[in-house]
Amino acid sequence: MKRDARLALAAAAALALLPGIVLVIAHLPDFGRHPLPYGEAINGAATRERHVTNMVTAVNFDYRGLDTLGEEFMLLGAVTGTLVLLRGRRGENVSDAPAEAEGRPIPPRSDAVALACRFFAPVLLLFGIYVVLHAQLTPGGGFQGGAIIGSGALLLYLGEGYRIWRRLVRSHLFDAVEATGALIFALAGWAPMIFGAKFLENILPLGKTGALISGGLILVTNAGVALAVAGGFVLLMVEFLEETRTTKEDER
Amino acid sequence: MTILLAALLLFAAASGTGVVLTRKPRRQALAIAVNGVVLALLFMALQAPDVAYSEIAVGTAAVPLMILAVLASLKTDRPEQ
Repeated sequence: MKRDARLALAAAAALALLPGIVLVIAHLPDFGRHPLPYGEAINGAATRERHVTNMVTAVNFDYRGLDTLGEEFMLLGAVTGTLVLLRGRRGENVSDAPAEAEGRPIPPRSDAVALACRFFAPVLLLFGIYVVLHAQLTPGGGFQGGAIIGSGALLLYLGEGYRIWRRLVRSHLFDAVEATGALIFALAGWAPMIFGAKFLENILPLGKTGALISGGLILVTNAGVALAVAGGFVLLMVEFLEETRTTKEDER
Repeated sequence: MTILLAALLLFAAASGTGVVLTRKPRRQALAIAVNGVVLALLFMALQAPDVAYSEIAVGTAAVPLMILAVLASLKTDRPEQ
């Protein structure tokens, strides 16, 4: 389709949709005023019922834990699908050699980059673990902490280069981490049923409000999400870097 | 709505438009990171620190880093026009 025709189509579509958009905007609730009662209800009940101070964690990992379980397996499915596509015929083989493209030498890392990455990679790892462990107390949780840990792992590649990255980051290990995370969440759902409770019911001792170990089953499901997200992020990075690395013609 | 929120909303719109108008992939990765920072600040101002965390971790760190790492190791690098 020609550019003019496309623009005309886009303009016509915009004109057709405009009345609907104006109508919806005119009927939006006022800024900051939501009509739903659930937020207030959770704010009032979560600390009393679950001994946690982060309401978002209480919703994600307990009250609506079933939704998070679904998301967890969506993530697992997405990562698995990406891995299957990217691995292709290469399978699980890896090599120590970095990518080489003709006429495009790999520039050596500057000392500043290596130093910055050596400093920030462990700090990010530590911060990610902190965010995971304090899910029930302060903002953050398994997803955020897992993503931070994943970003910290990528700094290994940026700072140390391909060879050391591949030696330290084993995809078998992170395959297992990813799967273990999903398994922990699923078991956290089934285990209460063994004791006659409902699926994902919080039957563990809740602990003292404000303590690092509090919230009962929330700790377990949060750890499962943290493992799955960290493993998923690292695996995606491994496979993206691996995919772009291959240059031999006979491998394709 | 305070001036802070209005300014952050404008910044979000401006940086989002910037991402669309940036055409070179490397600059686009950085534009996405800037947009992520602005959105994270907006979420902070709206008292949603959990979402701000996610936005920083995914939108500002992980996604641009992944794009940059892949661009850095791409085997076919067309000359820039």
